Amino acid sequence: MIEPVTDLAPITALGGTVPRSEIFGALTLSENAGLALASLALRKDQEMPKPFGLPLPEVGKAVSMGGLAAFWTGRGQWMIEAAGRGETDFAAALKAEVPKACVSEQTDGWVAFDIASTQGAAPIEALMARLVNLDSTGFGPGCATRTGLEHMSVFVIRRSEDRLTVMGMRTFADALWHALAVTARRLDD
Amino acid sequence: MLIPHPLLGLRDSQEFTYFGDASLMWRPDPEAPEAEAAFCEYVFLRDNPAGVHRELWFHEQGDRSWLVVTRDTTTHEILGAELASDVKGAAQ
Amino acid sequence: MTRLSGGLIDRSRPLNFTFNGISYTGFEGDTLASALLANGVQLMGRSFKYHRPRGVFAAGSEEPNAMVELRTGARQEPNTRATVTELFEGLTARSQNHMGPLHRDFLAVNDLLSPFFAAGFYYKTFMWPKAFWEKLYEPAIRKAAGLGSLSMLPDPDDYDKGFLHCDLLVIGAGAAGLAAALAAGRAGAEVILADEDFALGGRLVMEGDLLDEALATGWVATVKAELESLPNVRIMTRTTVFGVYDHGIFGAVERVSDHLPTPGDKVRQTLWRITAKRTVLAAGATERHMPFADNDRPGVMLAGAMRAYANRWAASPVKRDDDAIAIFTNGDDGHRTALDLIAKGAKVLGVIDTRETAPKFGDYEVFAGATVTGTKGRLGLTSIEITRGGRSEWHSVGALGIAGGWNPNVHLASHHRGRPVWNERLLAFVPSPDGPKGLIPAGAAAGKGGTAEALEDGMAAAIKALAELEISAAEISLPKAENASAEQVAFWHVPGQKRAWVDFQNDVTVKDIALAHRENMTPVEHLKRWTTLGMATDQGKTSNVSALAVMAELTGKSIPETGTTMFRPPYTGVSLAVLGGGDSGPLFRPRRLTPTHHWAAAQGAEFVEVGPWMRAQYFPRKGEMQWRESVDREVLAVRAGVGLCDVTTLGKIDVQGPDAGEFLNRIYANMMGTLKVGKVRYGLMLREDGHAYDDGTCARMGEDHYVVTTTTANAGLVYRQMEFAHQCLWPDLDVQLISTTDAWAQIAVAGPKSRALLSRIVDDFDLSNEAFPFMSCAALTICNGLRARLFRISFSGELAYELAVPARYGHALMARLMEMGADLGVTPYGTEALAVLRIEKGHAAGAELNGQTTAQMLGLGKMVSVKKDSIGAVMSRREGLAADTRRLVGFRSADPQTQIMAGSHLFPEGAEQNMATDQGWITSACYSPHMKGYIALGLLEDGAARLGEVVVAANPLEGQAMKLEVVSAHFVDPEGGRLRD
Repeated sequence: MIEPVTDLAPITALGGTVPRSEIFGALTLSENAGLALASLALRKDQEMPKPFGLPLPEVGKAVSMGGLAAFWTGRGQWMIEAAGRGETDFAAALKAEVPKACVSEQTDGWVAFDIASTQGAAPIEALMARLVNLDSTGFGPGCATRTGLEHMSVFVIRRSEDRLTVMGMRTFADALWHALAVTARRLDD
Repeated sequence: MLIPHPLLGLRDSQEFTYFGDASLMWRPDPEAPEAEAAFCEYVFLRDNPAGVHRELWFHEQGDRSWLVVTRDTTTHEILGAELASDVKGAAQ
Repeated sequence: MTRLSGGLIDRSRPLNFTFNGISYTGFEGDTLASALLANGVQLMGRSFKYHRPRGVFAAGSEEPNAMVELRTGARQEPNTRATVTELFEGLTARSQNHMGPLHRDFLAVNDLLSPFFAAGFYYKTFMWPKAFWEKLYEPAIRKAAGLGSLSMLPDPDDYDKGFLHCDLLVIGAGAAGLAAALAAGRAGAEVILADEDFALGGRLVMEGDLLDEALATGWVATVKAELESLPNVRIMTRTTVFGVYDHGIFGAVERVSDHLPTPGDKVRQTLWRITAKRTVLAAGATERHMPFADNDRPGVMLAGAMRAYANRWAASPVKRDDDAIAIFTNGDDGHRTALDLIAKGAKVLGVIDTRETAPKFGDYEVFAGATVTGTKGRLGLTSIEITRGGRSEWHSVGALGIAGGWNPNVHLASHHRGRPVWNERLLAFVPSPDGPKGLIPAGAAAGKGGTAEALEDGMAAAIKALAELEISAAEISLPKAENASAEQVAFWHVPGQKRAWVDFQNDVTVKDIALAHRENMTPVEHLKRWTTLGMATDQGKTSNVSALAVMAELTGKSIPETGTTMFRPPYTGVSLAVLGGGDSGPLFRPRRLTPTHHWAAAQGAEFVEVGPWMRAQYFPRKGEMQWRESVDREVLAVRAGVGLCDVTTLGKIDVQGPDAGEFLNRIYANMMGTLKVGKVRYGLMLREDGHAYDDGTCARMGEDHYVVTTTTANAGLVYRQMEFAHQCLWPDLDVQLISTTDAWAQIAVAGPKSRALLSRIVDDFDLSNEAFPFMSCAALTICNGLRARLFRISFSGELAYELAVPARYGHALMARLMEMGADLGVTPYGTEALAVLRIEKGHAAGAELNGQTTAQMLGLGKMVSVKKDSIGAVMSRREGLAADTRRLVGFRSADPQTQIMAGSHLFPEGAEQNMATDQGWITSACYSPHMKGYIALGLLEDGAARLGEVVVAANPLEGQAMKLEVVSAHFVDPEGGRLRD
């Protein structure tokens, strides 16, 4: 348990005091309010860093190590994730780790919805086919990309065969949850 | 259309925003004696050929890279795509 | 009942339905058309123009005649083809396009008036008087013509969309398509097999031909089972691939629940965008007819359709079992129908074959060298006239099948300007070799319609397609099959004086084509538009080639010289609802909610859409009767005390790196690189053409770190423009950009008591004017440790700050500020008060930054630095812009209580009001509670020099004109003392 840094009480992107979670047949959709995010962009001629020992992934890929993870967002740019640290100043911690790089706090720039399947890859891939124009067979575990979803810009990260994370801009959280939930419900029908 | 992104491979054109003639990358020298005329041409006069065209596409719902795409405007055949920063970097 | 034996219907599952209020029974597996035929119903509708009685003509999606209004209430759907409507329990359908009962249509008078309704009639007749067109002619014509009617109720169903990717898309699941899918599926390729039908098999299940010496249904079932067992194969029935787009992208509609009484929890239809590396087009072929006199009576249909109804649906085309059936053909294919009907026990009069040396394949009469030259039967065929060697005789028949040859379904292969090619041996157009890249036509669609050759061709096409993808596919063992004899001669229509229909759906006859020819509408594209041939829901699938042949005959050109019209998507009609894919009502587009949205909603705020954002517009209090009361109160509260407004919607862009200052110097018209750490500067961006683009603030948070803000409307565009400048213009600069708009909740704290309020929540931070003067910024902590950013900037002209915290705390921060500021009279304010405050202060916003104004016009000319280059700097100095004397000034109405309309144009007092005397316009207007009257901002020629003058603001659209006094744009604190205190 991390000590609260303030006497203000945060709310989740969906406006709740606790993260939302809902089950649709084989799929469970969960708001991940604890995820800290910081963008990392290399300066010109900067060597590839290994923040917290994390090897930064190649184009279109994601890596994870303990509670830390990273995915590629552009040439020389990554998003670094830290589980359970959403209320800390993770950007400052990252900046201290790679002082030369450009680091921006992105924790509340995005809402992360984790989608888990109890029946393997098929429900995950069926959901993806309704929402994002990505070839799900070529988008296996360890793949990450940014794309469009119902006119919104999202990051899609395939954590494993049966787990997917969709991140959308935080202010679109309600609309993104709606899109995911309606689709998951229809797959269940 | 599918755009052959130099880093990400084939991506649907729905992820991109189209910007037309790649000559926009070549901003005139503001110090040149005829700068105003050169800027008028740069801003207002664009080629719009029926055939092979080099044009700018912004991967707005992707890695936010600007690409120079070479496309035949009569067939939509895409002959190549490069990162605009590489094109500019090579020229500089 | 005229139900035959056999067929793919499930007799253990009867289904009740009604047509024009009469109850009938069909079986599962029936279409509405097959069930009606099996119930002896031939008359299914009235024609478009002449209201002629019509029956079903085809057995698939090419149907021109049998269109019905399906279902009732909100789900009522006009122009539904009975031939592709699957029967379900309780189905209700009505015929359309008639006044009074179907068998006694009062509008059938149009048929008697037909000499007046020839092609081009409307174009020629309703030209005069011109005004009558809109008010009289068009409404009357629309009422009389057209087909079914809409329910006029909102669509109650849901629609969906989706995206699929595959190695091989196989369009059509007939002989060629099944062979292709099986070969590719076994090779392990990702395969999608799509067919518009609800059953697999295509013509295989409509013919009596044998595969491996058994009915083809057995082989189809075996293949289906194997394909279903392969994880790499996706079978999509009830799915029409309707269009080919660039680079292997296809549009398809899956009719998910059209075959059910109601969709229940399912969506009605799904729009699929399929990206395929390669495609096999196995879309089959469509039969054509040979026009002859009065060839449009119910009971006259395509011979292949007749065969399909008999074999697949066990339905006979006649009203009574003892009615005879005749076949009219120009080749061997018509004889197949006769044989299949005889095998099913139907009574066949014989085959009328246009060939002098017609073959005979069985025990039926052959009328060699004969044609059909007339028909009788008002509501259904009763007899036909057969003419042979100049001698005619009438024969009693209840149905007539026409076999004029088969046209390969070249449509999808022709969507990329692939012009189909005439094949003289097949007497048909086949797909062009330069059709869409990666699409290989196969089977009947490629002119290889024999069962054996279609199977072979489909398999070969799949192997070839996969080889191009470096996937090696082996040959599969195909069932033993034959190619039925397809000998035929070119015979296009039976000449005669009476009307012979070419296009049934649009009531276009051979005579109309002749008229078009006489009036020089000979090119096919003109022919189509002059006669409407090939338009509407069937797009002339059964008529186009016959029409071309008639025109070719008239012009003396060959058919290939005559050519086809351009093929365009969709292949068959696609509903707008499915193209919308469920984006309707409040879900029309996604909405963005500010971090304090839920807080504002709990306060009873009224919201307004600002682009995708929902913003609090004002916060009504009990007893406030109309919005102005709330807004005036909010404005005065800011001027007198302190107000709070969520300004998160302003774009925020982090600019970092050693060259950040230089980069910003080039982006902004004014100097930014000299900004000191801890300071904020107002910034103006120009477009490269020299006009003002966007404004905002730029705060230097650290040596290499700036935070740029943009207007709400331009947030995405400015970010894109900055990326353009970074990547396309100056990639050599070491700078990085990232949007942080959503990451930080930003709240404006404005008013003389704002410092007092903030001092209660900051942690050990000196807010005094000396320590933190106007245009300062700092990172600090508030509320016992929360990281925050504070900017001392003002949009209202009052002492003001903007405070940013991580977005999740925005809600609590707003509540805390309200709680801590209760004794200071703290008041939340919305976008209306925000706008009034800035108009009172004379700040430019969206209405002034409208893309037509320059920095100079806005009174910001001095901001365009001449010491450096920046985007738009050179062009801002060009003569046309520099010489523009219009300036932003303020206005007060002579009568303070008369509202000023934004958009009004400005004229000198007493001058005539026209373009020449126009001196500018009102950009923004509001009621100012501070001034206790209506005020406005606007652009006026020589405005700066005309303070005190009176001008006229005119709104010619409403006939309004009012006198305004020209004043300074700064209605509040023109010296700017308040915001610096």
